[in-house]
Amino acid sequence: MKVVTGVVGNDIHVVANRLIDLALRARGYEVFNLGVNTHLQEFFDAVVETGAQVLMISSLNGEAEGWGREVRLLRSQYTNLDDLIMMIGGNLVVGSGNGEDIAARYRNYGFDIACHQVDLNTGLDMLAALLRERGIQ
Amino acid sequence: MKDTGDKLLIDVGSTYFKICAGDSIEQYMRDFNREILEDLMAKAGQLIARYQPADIRVCSSANGGLSALIIGVTRTFSLKYATNIAFNAGINIIDTILYQDIGNCSLPSDLVDVVIIVGGVNAHGGLFSRSLYRYMEQLQYSNVVYVGTERDAAAIQTNIPDVVVLPNIIDERLHIVEEHLKVYLTNLYQQDIEGKEDIKRLYEITANQIYSTPYIVNRALPVIDATFSVANPFILLDIGGATTDIHYSKDLVEDNIVTENGYDRLVFKRLGVYKSRQSLILAAQGNEFTYELLTHLKVTENIFKEQGERATKVLMQLAVFLVLCKMSHYRQSYINLKLLQINSIVLTGGITKVLTVAEIDVIIAFFYSKILTSDHRPVAVLDSDYAIWTLGARGSY
Ligand code: B12
Repeated sequence: MKVVTGVVGNDIHVVANRLIDLALRARGYEVFNLGVNTHLQEFFDAVVETGAQVLMISSLNGEAEGWGREVRLLRSQYTNLDDLIMMIGGNLVVGSGNGEDIAARYRNYGFDIACHQVDLNTGLDMLAALLRERGIQ
Repeated sequence: MKDTGDKLLIDVGSTYFKICAGDSIEQYMRDFNREILEDLMAKAGQLIARYQPADIRVCSSANGGLSALIIGVTRTFSLKYATNIAFNAGINIIDTILYQDIGNCSLPSDLVDVVIIVGGVNAHGGLFSRSLYRYMEQLQYSNVVYVGTERDAAAIQTNIPDVVVLPNIIDERLHIVEEHLKVYLTNLYQQDIEGKEDIKRLYEITANQIYSTPYIVNRALPVIDATFSVANPFILLDIGGATTDIHYSKDLVEDNIVTENGYDRLVFKRLGVYKSRQSLILAAQGNEFTYELLTHLKVTENIFKEQGERATKVLMQLAVFLVLCKMSHYRQSYINLKLLQINSIVLTGGITKVLTVAEIDVIIAFFYSKILTSDHRPVAVLDSDYAIWTLGARGSY
């Protein structure tokens, strides 16, 4: 199972990105890590170049919401991303907020899973559950 | 300038010949009714006769070079990487096609010298299918090279006759791998220069390989600051009769391209002041700041209809402005340079014979204050005696 990951926007918080890379590999995923400072278009383009089934975006510095709103429009410009599973995690709002409300909002933006300040392993378990549910893994 | 080690250096441009002997550089307007060698000998035959073929070095930027069409699966990886490699090999890119849109793309009317097909990391496959082969069947081209995922190489070879397959230019970390494609394109360019009857005849006067001029200029960049009082980082603008070349150091690019070469090159075709005068004017008319700049220079748009020195000066000034625009965030292009970090702008080529430093400073000031709203003012440096070219041409081949 191929996963493209990275930190979106002008966000340089790198620690979680390194952990995600390691944790995904430990769970047997094939990882394409774009690192910090990654533009939204680069994520989708990397999915096309690698044939990844999962796109896992991090955002830590508070930019997530702005990018989230652009996801649907940008994704609609690609002809081959219909089956892509999209996931986002980190600090998804500026300041604090209710995790459930925030997750619902991000599902609206087009994400299958949204983890606001959710611990990484919990998030990866959610992904595994979704893949099972869809009969992918 | 240091001596040239008693070599005779000749540059065949689209508009001029430049000839450097010892400390002096002569420039001659070309006569397009004559063959290159004949024209050159008529203008500098006596000088050339004084040198042995082994001591004569020729480079050429005439005849435009090779044209390439690139087909790739994404803008930020395959198309961008192939574009970068092609520019650095001195190739002119006539178009890039995003593979998912290939069904709606019109065919170029002219013969394409080389088609580059690229896409996918080696872990992925099945990216290309009939729509590609159908497009290729209709396209007029001389060479085709495939540099995408190795998993698709066999299918490509079955369906596209005479395709050259090289290693993928995208590695498993999605980084660029330049070497193989660059060597292939450079050789193709070289064969093209040598194959052109006109240029081929120049081997009657030289025993050295004839190189492309951008290659020679690019080679001088790492040592430029030894010859000029240039403050790093700098960009080099070569504004000529038919095209404009920009050479820049990699640290000026905000980008996902990580390469090993220190310097890159970007070409704007049809942005010259003689042969491409009309398209330069069109580009100027399409820029919303042009009229303000013309007013600032105390002329009106009637200047586009005028000939003569004043009009040429203004066109040159506009060319500098348009090039800066194209590289800035104001105009999203293939690359954007960090223009606020540049300390010098070095200008070479025909422009140095027309504009003074003061006339260029006006443009730099206008651009930085209007477009970048900044007080930053890089220093303009004029390479008026073609020292950069001499530096590159003199280097050991
Ligand atoms: C270290 C740090 C920095 C360092 C970063 C160094 C580096 N290169 O990594 C520096 C000093 C440079 C920095 C800068 C800034 N920072 Co800072 N920084 C932090 C800090 C203290 C720790 C981050 C960290 O590494 N944590 C350890 C990792 C392992 O945890 P994590 O990032 O939270 O990730 C975990 C989970 O979120 C989750 N996760 C992350 N991504 C994903 C993705 C998925 C799919 C899933 C399931 C889970 C998941 O997994 C991780 C492990 O469980 C946090 C505060 C904090 N205590 O969290 C602020 C913090 C992230 N920074 C913040 C801010 C605002 C900034 C600046 C804008 C400050 C400024 N005004 O200049 C800049 C932004 C720079 C930029 N362009 O991005 C804010 C963000 C606020 C928000 N989002 O609302 C925080 C939360 C501090 C705060 N409370 O205000 N920062």
